[in-house]
Amino acid sequence: MPGIAEAVLADGRRLPYVIRDDPPRGGMKYTYFAPDKSYVVQFFNNPMIAADPNTHRRLEAIIGKYNPTRPEADGGAPGNSPSMAAYFADLFCWPTATVCSPEFGIVCPAYPENFFFTEEASLALPLKGRDKRSKWFTSSRNRQYLEPEEVGDFRAMLQLSTSLARSIRRMHQAGLAHSDLSCNNVLIDPKSGSCVVIDIDSLVVPGLFPPEVVGTHGYIAPEVLETLDLPSDSPGRKSPSAYTDLHALAVLLYEYLLMRHPLEGPKIYSPNSPDEDDYLAFGPKATFIEDPHDTSNRPPDLELTVHDMGPYLEELFLRAFVDGLHCPDSRPTAMEWEKGLVKTWDLLHPCENPDCAAKWFVLYDVQRPVCPFCGTRVKRENIVRLHLKSPLRGRYGQWMHAGEVDVYDHMPLFKWHILANTFPDEKTSREMQAYVCRHQGQWLLVNHKVRGMTSPHGGLVPVGQAVVLRDGAVFRASGEDRGFLIEVRCGR
Amino acid sequence: MADYTRRLPVYLLLDCSGSMMGEPIEAVRQGVKALLSELKGDPQALETAYLSVITFDSAARQVAPLTELMQFQEPQIKASGATALGGALNVLIDCVNTEVRKASPTQKGDWRPLVFILTDGSPTDVETFGQAVQAVKDLKVASIVACAAGAKADTACLKRITDNVLMMNTLSAGDLARFFAWVSGSIKMSSKGMDAKPGAPNQLPPPPDGFVVVP
Repeated sequence: MPGIAEAVLADGRRLPYVIRDDPPRGGMKYTYFAPDKSYVVQFFNNPMIAADPNTHRRLEAIIGKYNPTRPEADGGAPGNSPSMAAYFADLFCWPTATVCSPEFGIVCPAYPENFFFTEEASLALPLKGRDKRSKWFTSSRNRQYLEPEEVGDFRAMLQLSTSLARSIRRMHQAGLAHSDLSCNNVLIDPKSGSCVVIDIDSLVVPGLFPPEVVGTHGYIAPEVLETLDLPSDSPGRKSPSAYTDLHALAVLLYEYLLMRHPLEGPKIYSPNSPDEDDYLAFGPKATFIEDPHDTSNRPPDLELTVHDMGPYLEELFLRAFVDGLHCPDSRPTAMEWEKGLVKTWDLLHPCENPDCAAKWFVLYDVQRPVCPFCGTRVKRENIVRLHLKSPLRGRYGQWMHAGEVDVYDHMPLFKWHILANTFPDEKTSREMQAYVCRHQGQWLLVNHKVRGMTSPHGGLVPVGQAVVLRDGAVFRASGEDRGFLIEVRCGR
Repeated sequence: MADYTRRLPVYLLLDCSGSMMGEPIEAVRQGVKALLSELKGDPQALETAYLSVITFDSAARQVAPLTELMQFQEPQIKASGATALGGALNVLIDCVNTEVRKASPTQKGDWRPLVFILTDGSPTDVETFGQAVQAVKDLKVASIVACAAGAKADTACLKRITDNVLMMNTLSAGDLARFFAWVSGSIKMSSKGMDAKPGAPNQLPPPPDGFVVVP
């Protein structure tokens, strides 16, 4: 019978929720909504887990001192400022309180509105009000039923991939492991290029008894599958950890950028039964479909590959799925993914084909500037690259290569394009410092906020004025000590 | 690139005998409709599940062949006649043998199928039923769940087919709707968590309120 019930929280507050007959049920919990849908109240399917004092201790730690979405001053994670807490509150759906009556449970914020489909999302499917789980977008079979504006473009997928890597980096930095990172626990909105990590309640917290979670099919690390049969106290048994998160993270990133699963290929691992075949394919014998040394699982019609993701991501994917697939120590960390994705973002180039569905691609080779999604070649005159050089400390006048930025019309430049040692993380301001535009056949870098920018001839470039980007030109991006020296290369 | 996702075949065996006439058969029609809509709203079910419907009255027939959800045509469901559950099991065996892809050195096999049986009576084709029960035991399926609907359903017969027998007390539209909602929940759960380990038991959600698991 529908009606309103009341949850009593550990701190004595009372929150109403709407009772319904058949509440949505996941693998661990079932969910009731607030009357105004601004939060949810969740209870555990298994009463043993709900009654376990280890579950209570773990959730109190997650909600309190390990909480990156709450400022330190309000009982959140150490070192967390209000602005950092606000930043991560958008990236996680983090539990906010425990419920002690009518039974043990948790309160979580509702997912933001943009992570639910609207009626217009699909003409063929009844998706209105359903959450945007990753598989809607990454499975080619499902994706075909979504309207084109719903599926976003390559840049949006790269953007949300960066956010996901950053979220996991923040968790791991605190010593937490998600333990069940999967297509069901990351909602993505390619329309806005955003993602949110959900189901935060089964985290592995340092020093506390871990939850009994194995993971989700397709995202479980091979070593976990392989040792699943060992007793839970056996030293050989591999439980979910930051290492297994790094497998799941790499799988998700590969799916977001290449729209397929990295281990699902044509190889038949066992002719005996589907279960055995599947176990081998995701466990002891797992083989990357793009493994350069072992092509047994490679689809014959593979067109887009990790090479097209540019040098940084190619290296990371090969480490994750060749070196690190069966060797957890070799997997790239979430921090490495975050850095690689940010560097790749700076190589993005708009495709010149107005009908290209990806709209953007990684321009990693200026000698062969071709969109890998549609095959369109970029015109020479549209290739402008900034080589950033950072000052060598204590050696006046000496510079070190620090990165490359591919520019295009209306491209904004931020602090990390102007100053060495700045990184686009949760602490850095997103205020535009300068922008690039094409004006009367010339490429200009317009100063928007930077002090002390100088032209190639050494004159000051005040705010509102521009540097002409000519091949070979060299200029200081900022007058600050840490300001980059920028060398321009056009069409080469 | 070709699709390398493994298929999850699902068979529904639905009783369409005369006793289902009226509200119950209408509830079954609505149930199939709701099931389909629910599964189409789940990305993993949509990607992997394939659905077939076998109905039985005085005879049994496959009214919807094993089809991916987006191509699935809702079958005509009418109530009349007796309860050829034995015949339905034989049709199931034929369908599984011809439609479900077997693993081989050159072909990726489908997941073992899920089978759901709904009946409100007891089999009238007793002899056929007796033989079919034996043959079904040899069928490679992930699980068979049988639901006895209403007071006249024969749970003992269903127990001969499978250990998983549920009982609902009435043939009301509400109970039938809950049954189909539970079936879609089970399919969704299976499409996500197909046994991590070979031979691991297949996990299904707890039965809906008011349903009893027959021991």
